[in-house]
Amino acid sequence: MNGLIKLELTRALRNRKFLFFSVIYPSVLFLIIAGNADSTTKVDGTGLTVPTYMMVSMASFGALTAVLMGNSERIAKEREAGWVRQLRLTTLPGRGYVLAKTASAAVVSLPSIVIVFVVAAAAKNVRLDAWQWLALTGAVWAGSLVFAALGVAIGYLASGDAVRPITMVTYFGLSLLGGLWMPTTTFPSWLQDIAEWLPTHAYAALGQAIEQSRAPHVQDLAILLVSFVLFAGGAAWLYRKDTLKA
Amino acid sequence: MTKTASVVAFDQVSKTYGAVRAVDGLTLTLRPGETVALLGPNGAGKSTTLDLLLGLKHADSGTVRLFGATPREAIVAGRVGAMLQSGGLMDEVTVAELVRLACALHPRPYRVADVLARAGVAQIADRKVDKLSGGQAQRVRFALATAGDSDLIVLDEPTTGMDVTTRQAFWATMREQADQGRTVLFATHYLEEADAIADRVLVLHRGRLLADGTAAEIKAKAGARRISFDLDGETDAVSLRALPFLTALDTSGHTVRIQSSDADATVHALYGLGLYPRNLEVAGLGLEQAFVAITAAEEAKSQ
Repeated sequence: MNGLIKLELTRALRNRKFLFFSVIYPSVLFLIIAGNADSTTKVDGTGLTVPTYMMVSMASFGALTAVLMGNSERIAKEREAGWVRQLRLTTLPGRGYVLAKTASAAVVSLPSIVIVFVVAAAAKNVRLDAWQWLALTGAVWAGSLVFAALGVAIGYLASGDAVRPITMVTYFGLSLLGGLWMPTTTFPSWLQDIAEWLPTHAYAALGQAIEQSRAPHVQDLAILLVSFVLFAGGAAWLYRKDTLKA
Repeated sequence: MTKTASVVAFDQVSKTYGAVRAVDGLTLTLRPGETVALLGPNGAGKSTTLDLLLGLKHADSGTVRLFGATPREAIVAGRVGAMLQSGGLMDEVTVAELVRLACALHPRPYRVADVLARAGVAQIADRKVDKLSGGQAQRVRFALATAGDSDLIVLDEPTTGMDVTTRQAFWATMREQADQGRTVLFATHYLEEADAIADRVLVLHRGRLLADGTAAEIKAKAGARRISFDLDGETDAVSLRALPFLTALDTSGHTVRIQSSDADATVHALYGLGLYPRNLEVAGLGLEQAFVAITAAEEAKSQ
């Protein structure tokens, strides 16, 4: 299985468009959004400056891009092309394909997180304790597994022309409504009530809790956990269905 | 693993899709070292049979065993190398990278360079998989199927998309595999390939085994010889039809074409009728014509 992970990684690192959107783009977006904000303006009700707040949002967004965008479309495509069938004629265990995809996405998502942090610290003077940087990296990275599972589920759910629109709607919907592009505090209150329940909101809130040096809300942890169980369970169920059909 | 005489054993295997019986009570055994061609018209159940054999599909009833184990167990033990007709390839990687993966996944792999050379893809080793022609992609699939020391090689329509020269080179490679004592099973549309390469031919029709034997036996079963001649004057179809060992009769104008399972006896009886056939020709039936005759006869029976 290591062979497949290595090959998936080689391929991901070779794909410049994918690398740009998952590794460079979040940092660029961070600079655009946080660029005009001075480092004293606070985001309502958080006690965090705009750059500090948006840093976690963009790191989360970058990780989301890396794990969701690449996998869903590729899985759907390779399923249709018969590559998944071909792999079933090898010693690779049944879950090996999905695990290799997830592992390689996780490797790509790490730099996209770290680069946003480096840019934020260097360009916007974001300062945190050493333990906070480490905890943030770990939390945003681990949290991305929730969306990796979602990406796999979409890859097995949709096929052909349908997969891209479904991925796009999910991706932009979750990013925008979850408050990764702008704080949800700027939303009208009815929209805030919806946003609060989205896994992307819980995901970013986890990082922001670390920045605030406080324990994360139980609700956010619960939302992430339930989402993970839901997405991973859905992916496993769809995977099994696909295997029986093929 | 227990030593067993059969490489592949199907026992009363059936697979149904909705109202269609794709495979219908199939029983068959392949033995070590055989080169077996699987023939059948479109929709005869060839692909389903191979899918069942490789464990990609599960039978509704009956059992499929490879080397005395389940298909999956045999694959995990590295005893099976397979090439699917529509087996997709991973794109955006090079041919060599993909073959290296196949070798890494095999419990008894060959050297990557050897696999590339044997499959005839060494020259395109650095090319991206998505930039290959149909025939080149087929060779890469073959490389993946032969990345390690497997005992059974399964090929579904392996030469589709290859030109004549490539096809010949391909079968030469394939024969090497068979000569090393491997069992080779291939499905094909090209009957001349089955005729030239296989030492056993299976004819599948509507999910059932219609014929099983050497190419020569299959031809004999279909009515082995074709007799053609011209007759002056009226041709009397009734008396011609009564000729011994006749399996098919076709008259057009003065020309008569007959298929016979014993050409000598048929021709003898022809003279016995007092006829004077001109331009008499007796020729062997190709496997293709035999195949058409067998499946057409079955088709007629089931209607």
